[in-house]
Amino acid sequence: MHFTGQETINVPMQAVWDFFMDPHRVAECAPGFQSMEVLAPDHFKPKVGVGIGAIKATFTLDVMLENLRAPDHAEVKGHGVAAGSAVDFNGRMDLTSESEHVTRMDWVADVNVSGGIASVGGRLLESTARKLTAKFFANMRENLQKHSSPAKE
Amino acid sequence: MATDLHAFGKSVKRREDPRFIRGKGTYIDDIKLPGMIYMDIVRSPYAHAKILKIDASKALALPGVLAVITGKDLDAYKLAWMPTLMSDTQMVLPIDRVVYQSQEVAAVIATERYIAADAVALVEVEYEPLPPVVDPYKALEPDAPLVRPDHADKKTNHIWHWESGDKARTDQLFNEAEVVVKEHMYLPRIHVSSIETCGCVASFDKVNGKLTVWMTTQAPHAIRTVFSLVTAASAVGQIPEHKIRIISPDIGGGFGGKVPVYPGYVIATAASVLTGLPVKWIEDRSENLQADSFARDYHMDVELAGKRDGTITAMRVKTLADHGSADAAANPSKFPAGLFNVCTGSYQIQAAHIEVDGVYTNKPPGGVAYRCSFRVTEAVHAIERIVDRMAQELKMDPAELRLKNFIPPDKFPYKSATGWEYDSGNYPAALKLAMEKIGYADLRKEQAEKRARGELMGIGISTFTEIVGAGPSHTFDILGIKMFDSAEIRVHPTGSAIVRIGVQTQGQGHETTFAQIVAEELGLPVDNITVEHGDTDTAPYGLGTYASRSTPTAGAATAMAARKIREKAKLIAAHLLEASPDDIEWVDYKFQVKGAPGRSKTMADVAFAAYTNHPQGMEAGLEAVDYYDPPNLTFPFGAYICVVDIDRGTGAVKIRRFVAVDDCGNIINPMIVDGQIHGGLTMGMAPALLEGIFYDENGNIQQGTFMDYLLPTSMETPAWETDKTCTPSPHHPLGAKGVGESATVGAPPAIANAVVDALSHLGVTHLDIPITPWKVYEILQAHGLTEV
Repeated sequence: MHFTGQETINVPMQAVWDFFMDPHRVAECAPGFQSMEVLAPDHFKPKVGVGIGAIKATFTLDVMLENLRAPDHAEVKGHGVAAGSAVDFNGRMDLTSESEHVTRMDWVADVNVSGGIASVGGRLLESTARKLTAKFFANMRENLQKHSSPAKE
Repeated sequence: MATDLHAFGKSVKRREDPRFIRGKGTYIDDIKLPGMIYMDIVRSPYAHAKILKIDASKALALPGVLAVITGKDLDAYKLAWMPTLMSDTQMVLPIDRVVYQSQEVAAVIATERYIAADAVALVEVEYEPLPPVVDPYKALEPDAPLVRPDHADKKTNHIWHWESGDKARTDQLFNEAEVVVKEHMYLPRIHVSSIETCGCVASFDKVNGKLTVWMTTQAPHAIRTVFSLVTAASAVGQIPEHKIRIISPDIGGGFGGKVPVYPGYVIATAASVLTGLPVKWIEDRSENLQADSFARDYHMDVELAGKRDGTITAMRVKTLADHGSADAAANPSKFPAGLFNVCTGSYQIQAAHIEVDGVYTNKPPGGVAYRCSFRVTEAVHAIERIVDRMAQELKMDPAELRLKNFIPPDKFPYKSATGWEYDSGNYPAALKLAMEKIGYADLRKEQAEKRARGELMGIGISTFTEIVGAGPSHTFDILGIKMFDSAEIRVHPTGSAIVRIGVQTQGQGHETTFAQIVAEELGLPVDNITVEHGDTDTAPYGLGTYASRSTPTAGAATAMAARKIREKAKLIAAHLLEASPDDIEWVDYKFQVKGAPGRSKTMADVAFAAYTNHPQGMEAGLEAVDYYDPPNLTFPFGAYICVVDIDRGTGAVKIRRFVAVDDCGNIINPMIVDGQIHGGLTMGMAPALLEGIFYDENGNIQQGTFMDYLLPTSMETPAWETDKTCTPSPHHPLGAKGVGESATVGAPPAIANAVVDALSHLGVTHLDIPITPWKVYEILQAHGLTEV
């Protein structure tokens, strides 16, 4: 599955960058996030629960950040396994400062899901992925808002 | 109080049914042994990947888990690979790579079934995904990922090439032809989906060295031999064949899917041999659907040549056979594409040339003959669809075209263009009966009227010829074992008998029909005859039940064994009647002195004498064994006509009527034959309209549960109308032919032809099955014919 998107976020670019460089903050925004083991600043293993249709699975992911060019470009690569299912993905994002308080984020992701989740939930896979992505960005805005609010006061 | 001894051709109620109806059958999962432990299997989410690491520590830490077996463990015993029935190999458990999704990766052994299942989720496998290839055409491209690098001699995914017929003559006839029609036809993967999944209980007795395996198998004897040979090649050391007992208890549907040996059987057996404990393994529904052997998956380019007057002259077929990751078909050894070259069907065709190429892809291995005699469904689909295509091209009625080209009844035995000798047939009689029964002429009128009003109705015909009863030993073997079959009959002193047969019932009703054969031949009441099968320690050696072969082979063996008994019985009767054996005749189910009907002895009288008063110099007892080597195959046939209406709102195809005229020669039990045909028609309708297994480009199965793999229920099943003609087989001792698969083979093209017929005025010449509502709807939409 290939996904692309553009998000406009009402916080400065550095704040968005800082958010993505903090695995704990990112993980908290991931729907179904359960726990995380941080192996290195650019290498972590989150556990995420996913439900597609009748199937529920907990994926243990192995995520690496790559080609980081602060403050505007990052790439991510990872794979994960759950009982009878597996996921492999890579993505990249580019940030553009539209104004002092507005950042545009362009992102691309390629995701391959294999096994039970893909077979059983196949028809629902893409729509579920879109829903989860939307939820993530909503959570992200909330998180960024929360972090930037005190500064404004 | 005379008992009616006439048993042949009667609808005797199935004697196995009381136990099935009352839930008293004994299926694999009913087998419970003291100290039994359980196995469950870790399966691959990837269609193609390297295995980097298997970490079983968390699984082993779960209380109740006894062992986690990997390919490396089996490899130490040289059991990581096993042979397939087609002399290919397949992994039992992988050592370092997986080649299809849901492939077995490791096995968990635990004290309880649920603990084993929980532990499966705790086995951590690290994979490195590799690019899979799922399309057989792409698999043949030069840069395609190699599915089987273990075959050191093979640098491509091509498995084998097989051809049949006369290429030069066929090409010549095509060059001279006035009309040539051509279609690409795909028969997708389908799955047997028997109610009972596969499973076994393996129990190795370490004291006496005997291995007993209760197994859902259609061919217990062949499995016994294979197990002995496989252990001989392993580091476990050969378990001699007399120390292996395979018991196939009641089977909840086989349909070809229970012919192969699956890795689970081997792992469970290995686990029992190593632990000395009984090990039970039962597949769950998804495992069965996702990993077990499939059927079909034939990509066929079919061409037919003929004259403008409708005379068919030649046929040419090029086929790509997608076997998945191993050629694990269950064909006779000399037939990598089964009996596919029977695809010239019921027609006089001067020459044919048939080519099939087997290809590896990253999909589960196969393919089995799902309720069809070795690729005959594919063959019949090819010819019956292309004949309709020819009729469409010539603007000729498809019934008329068939009648013009049928092999005439007086031309039998008939040698087909690909070398088969059809034993007997009367195709025009079957088709005319079907046309009369359905009111063919009126239906054509109705269709014309409806078409004028914009309504969509179609009539489809299939006049198929089956080829069953494999088979004669000069041509047919599986792993070298000739495809005879056997029966052993013992008549007891008080006039009852036991018959043991080498074939294995999976619902066909053998316990009734084989008793009827013995009853008819020996003049004993059906109720006095017990039929046993499925236990290799007691039944005579046989190749098992599939390909509609039970009646043609073991049925014949049963008749022949009974006749041997009758020969001896005649001598005893002569002794009792104090007459010369030459003066004794078998009349009305008893022996009587010629010309003196009052002087007679029944078989019961003779049986008693065989143990109490047999002639001096004769061996006591009354029993016989027969290993029947059929002189030829049998060729059942039929004429099916289907009427469909198409819903212009949804594209759904509704079968309004379906008339099935079958000819399977002499019939032992008409009720059972009807049951076979009704079930077979439903199982033929399913792939035509509902079933198909497809994979995405990553090798993910898209129909991995019954949510997406649509099995028919009574709601989808129309009221089948059946009738018969009877053309006995001239070479079978009972004149019977076998019927288990006719309907499954004959129905799909009848339905497909009906749908194409309904849409033919729109320029539609072919639709691949399953013909789903969406497929039809897209056509209607393209022609602006959808209605709300």
